[in-house]
Amino acid sequence: MDPVNPWLDPSEVRHLAEQLLRPVAPARLFAADPGFDSSFVGYMSSEAEVAPAERREQMETAPPVSAPPVDSEVPVYVPPPRESLQPPPAAPSRTRFLERIQIFRDWLAKNFQATDIFILDREGKVIFDESGHGRLHFMARNLALASRGSGNIHVKIGPASILEVIPCETPYGRIVLGSILPEALPANHVQTITEVLIQTASPA
Amino acid sequence: MISIAISSQKGGVGKTTLSINLAHAFARAGLNTLLVDGDPQGSVGLSLTRQSRLLSGFYDFLADPGIPMERLIVPTRLETFSLVAAGQASDYEMGNGTSGSHLARVKAFLRNAAARRYDLCLIDTAAGLFGVTNDIIASSDALIIPQQAEPLGIRSVPKLLEGLNRLRIINPRLDVLGICLTMIQQGLAESTEAAAALRQLLPEEMLFQTAIPRDEIFIRASAKGLPVGILEDGAGAGAVFDSLRAEVQAKLEKHRHKTHFQSR
Repeated sequence: MDPVNPWLDPSEVRHLAEQLLRPVAPARLFAADPGFDSSFVGYMSSEAEVAPAERREQMETAPPVSAPPVDSEVPVYVPPPRESLQPPPAAPSRTRFLERIQIFRDWLAKNFQATDIFILDREGKVIFDESGHGRLHFMARNLALASRGSGNIHVKIGPASILEVIPCETPYGRIVLGSILPEALPANHVQTITEVLIQTASPA
Repeated sequence: MISIAISSQKGGVGKTTLSINLAHAFARAGLNTLLVDGDPQGSVGLSLTRQSRLLSGFYDFLADPGIPMERLIVPTRLETFSLVAAGQASDYEMGNGTSGSHLARVKAFLRNAAARRYDLCLIDTAAGLFGVTNDIIASSDALIIPQQAEPLGIRSVPKLLEGLNRLRIINPRLDVLGICLTMIQQGLAESTEAAAALRQLLPEEMLFQTAIPRDEIFIRASAKGLPVGILEDGAGAGAVFDSLRAEVQAKLEKHRHKTHFQSR
């Protein structure tokens, strides 16, 4: 029995393998990109370029640091239970697409502490963007392309920042939702967001 | 220093056997080689040292990067061959599926290894492309993928390639050296047919010419806690890994030449 043909698509496998053998163009760095300094751990090391022994020495000789004031504590993110999620208010039937996206954006921000939300179209062009991060778009687009329909992808990009990328099939074609979250989303929340986004991006 | 991750989508494909014996082949060839156990199961340590359950190791460094490398590195009788066990903190982390959680610390570990003048750092990772394994691949210069020559293994190849394409976005300089067929059973038609099918399916440069046979000598070597090349009758199996080492070296040199050529 042929161990290959009944089980996988040879042309797809060959394409994926050839893609791996080709050099990848590194992402262009834009000095003006906000939010991508030394805290961006996706590409750059967030730890100082010193050997551990030297670092320990530095820590031992450093002056004592006073405890931070109580009100500076980082709030802990607790994802809402799926049952408690309310879909965004239904837009009037003739509401323009971008207005519906704005309602979706507010719902996403309120329920998931999402910031820097953006949506790309099937060609990777920006439909909606409040991030202003060209590099985030680049990364989200490439991750969505590489995932080839296998669901959402998340990448840690800072000490408490996850880039969540959710590709979504809509009546207008495939769109890609990107946002920054404090924690990666569980599968049931991804499903809820996908459903609401499809509804938002469907013709009224 | 060049860092090479040994990773696969599927478990039980001979990653640890390949890692230990390839690292030993490089060390015998005179390269100062560090073999790191990046698999929380700790198979490299369990294979090569009786004290592995007591040693601090790679995962302890991820938990506390202040631990000096000297406390992690275990020398062997071969001067050019050292290893770092998985360590005692390996129970705590199998990754939560989020890439990047340990990226900075894995990179710090590799910088520290490079500062100790190793020529090569080979990292045996846990199966699957998630958690710390993702971060190891995202920090490494190159990748070797052991692939068991059997039908089920072949069916996992598309998922593996998709995962690696995703990782190359995070680490664009990752040089995928190729897939090495393992556990080939010459007397079993399904095994040889699967190997032949994979060679037909993938581009030639994606597969190493050298393939690792399934052989009882690997079980005997692991029982004694030694690389196969050290066993009295291990010359044949050792030669297989010498051949793989030569292929790896040639691919690395070709890639570096290409990079140099492209940058001009």
